[in-house]
Amino acid sequence: MSIRHELVQHYPWLPSLEKLYPDIASKAPILFITDIFSSNPIEIQERVLTFFKASFSNLEQIDDYKIDEKNIHVYIIIKILLYLLNDKSISNRIANLYSKVTYSELIKEDDAYLYDICKDLNLDILYYQDPIKYGTIITKDQQENLYSNFRIYYTDYLKLAGNLRDEFRQLINNPLSEGYVFIQKRSISRLLQEFVREKFFLKAEYDKSSVEALKENFLKIKEFGELYERILANWELKKEDFEYSFEIKATDGSDISTNFPPCIKEILSKIQEGQNLIHNERLFIVWVLIAVNYQVDTIINLFSSMPDFNRERTAYQVNYAKKKKYIPYKCSTLKSFDLCMAKKYKDEICLKGYFSIKQNEQKNITHPLSYINIMQYRAHKKNKVSKNQHIRNNE
Amino acid sequence: MSEKNYLKRIFQVYYKEKRSFLPKINSFENREFGFIPWNQQIMIRHYNFDNIRNLNNYLIRDGPRHVYSSATLYINPYKTPMDNKGYLGCDFIIDIDVDHFDTPCKDDHDLWYCKDCGKEGKGMPPKKCPTCSKSKFKRVSWICDHCLNIAKNEIIKLIKNFLIPDFGYKETDFIIAFSGHRGYHLKVEDDRMRQLSSESRREIVDYLTGHNISFEILGLRKFSQNIYGFLKENIGWPQKILLKLEDILKNSSPIELENLLIKFGLNKNIRKSFMNSKDDFLETISKSKRNLWIIPNFSLETWKTFLSEVVKEIGAEIDQPVSIDVHRLIRYPGSLHGKTGFKVQELTFQELETYNPLNQSDGVLDPIVFKSEN
Repeated sequence: MSIRHELVQHYPWLPSLEKLYPDIASKAPILFITDIFSSNPIEIQERVLTFFKASFSNLEQIDDYKIDEKNIHVYIIIKILLYLLNDKSISNRIANLYSKVTYSELIKEDDAYLYDICKDLNLDILYYQDPIKYGTIITKDQQENLYSNFRIYYTDYLKLAGNLRDEFRQLINNPLSEGYVFIQKRSISRLLQEFVREKFFLKAEYDKSSVEALKENFLKIKEFGELYERILANWELKKEDFEYSFEIKATDGSDISTNFPPCIKEILSKIQEGQNLIHNERLFIVWVLIAVNYQVDTIINLFSSMPDFNRERTAYQVNYAKKKKYIPYKCSTLKSFDLCMAKKYKDEICLKGYFSIKQNEQKNITHPLSYINIMQYRAHKKNKVSKNQHIRNNE
Repeated sequence: MSEKNYLKRIFQVYYKEKRSFLPKINSFENREFGFIPWNQQIMIRHYNFDNIRNLNNYLIRDGPRHVYSSATLYINPYKTPMDNKGYLGCDFIIDIDVDHFDTPCKDDHDLWYCKDCGKEGKGMPPKKCPTCSKSKFKRVSWICDHCLNIAKNEIIKLIKNFLIPDFGYKETDFIIAFSGHRGYHLKVEDDRMRQLSSESRREIVDYLTGHNISFEILGLRKFSQNIYGFLKENIGWPQKILLKLEDILKNSSPIELENLLIKFGLNKNIRKSFMNSKDDFLETISKSKRNLWIIPNFSLETWKTFLSEVVKEIGAEIDQPVSIDVHRLIRYPGSLHGKTGFKVQELTFQELETYNPLNQSDGVLDPIVFKSEN
């Protein structure tokens, strides 16, 4: 199947880039950068910088987003820069912004082209020119007929939706027939947004020494080096806003975040890396932090490293949750939301439980707050023992 | 000669005599093999065989108590630790074990005793020991036609109600096996399914069992004191629920229906309301464009409780970790089960429909390989 050049310019992450623009796709990165920056690179520099600046300012769109061959260059340069910057926070910010820009472009796309994009990604998708009906929702006098022009093979659906753990995306809550999920254009665009986000998303930073060696060569290209420095300077100005410590003192002055169970630690580390959280993760972490008496401002500041952070909105939601005194999810609920991290972290207390002296038996952990209580109790006992030891040693 | 040595010899003889009957499973060379010997209760893992003859020779030499191969395909199945094996993909496995079903026949052939106080009982063990309130039990279980039939019907239900209509597979896409003891395995060796992560497999399991269903997302609404339910034309689980409800309401006697509602945990008033309104409700759900569900005393929460129980009736009872795990070993077809001495027997879907492991007329499919001569 041949895809239009314009589509690849619009969406440079498509596999057909290699076929339609072999001169760009197969070029060694250093040669590519040398070529691009040897002849009037000002426009490219500005377009790349716009992406970085926007992502550092928590913007969700790019003004004056252009679709031309230079858009391919911008995409490749961003990827190279992210590799050289080797910073998870920056990569994840760009991943979120670039994917959101992609979503807003895809949603405007013609159905037939959206189908071409999916086929180029080797997705098993069916396209119907006349939409097919898969249900009706009636509430009182209002009737919503559910139509779709697309069906996607369930394994492709699961792969794309894997990181989006919202309840409404779960397979069981979707119309599935003959192996294909009925899917609306909006949902396909959202799944592709996630696919694009994953392309930029940096799970672990690269080996520093190999990046440094490569960086030296790249930064010798004057204009590219200038661009790199401008990005870094911008980041230096902005990053303070995102770097908050997770060390939060409890009433007795100790840092209780060390006593958190894996489910809470996992979400906190996602926040720290600037990853997006799903709805249930956001609710859970806010309710937990409120339950263990974190200050509202501290919670808001924690969220500030997230890509879609909005201080006013966050403040309203945190204050509302505090007023309502919601109880955080228990372990069984977390398991059903796939948010239990006991196995991933191989956490002994979560997996095997603890021995209750009071009840003289092994008990299972059923709530993350019980975990914190137990850990605090153990830490308190340990401190007491070491204090006594200290006193004995001094006697 | 000790009992275990005697059994080992019998197994060795079986593998020697039946060497030409041991089937070679797909991608044989890429599978990891594991064995449990007679003299110790440990799994010896990370074996790999280039061909079926080598596996057969191993079985004749060692006559292991249990024989397993991986559902997973690896580049180097023999390497350790697991990360060094080179993961290629994993078949999708469904394990149905009668252990999970509370069948009346268990009172005839299963026993339990409390590990703490020694209290004994028949059937499934209780949640807590009635004498000491502890919850650790030892079980002694056996099988009968009745419970094996339940396991078989569960596999048939999975195939007919889910895997064929919803997932688009054909009858010939399944490899089914009687496990040699208390149930059946079903394997799908589809390349696209093989590439799915554990998380994605969990979603398939949820779909097959009905776990994590959201009635609100599927269309259940409350609007100014009225409850609006699903329509039968809504593809997926809403349709399954309504068809099941229709089936229950059309085909159950009042006593059967009452018992079902008791099983659902509904209180007397709610049950009475439902029994009084059931005919109107049946008419509503049978019509294509009516979804105003009116049953007095049924709040949104009551509907959700009621529907959750209906979902349990529809969903399959499977051993979930088996389907989710991507490094699972399962019994090798044609091998012997060390607890029963029965053969693990592969079956086609057609063969399954008439299959009775304890009374199998077709000698090739008969899992009982050791028989006393009359």
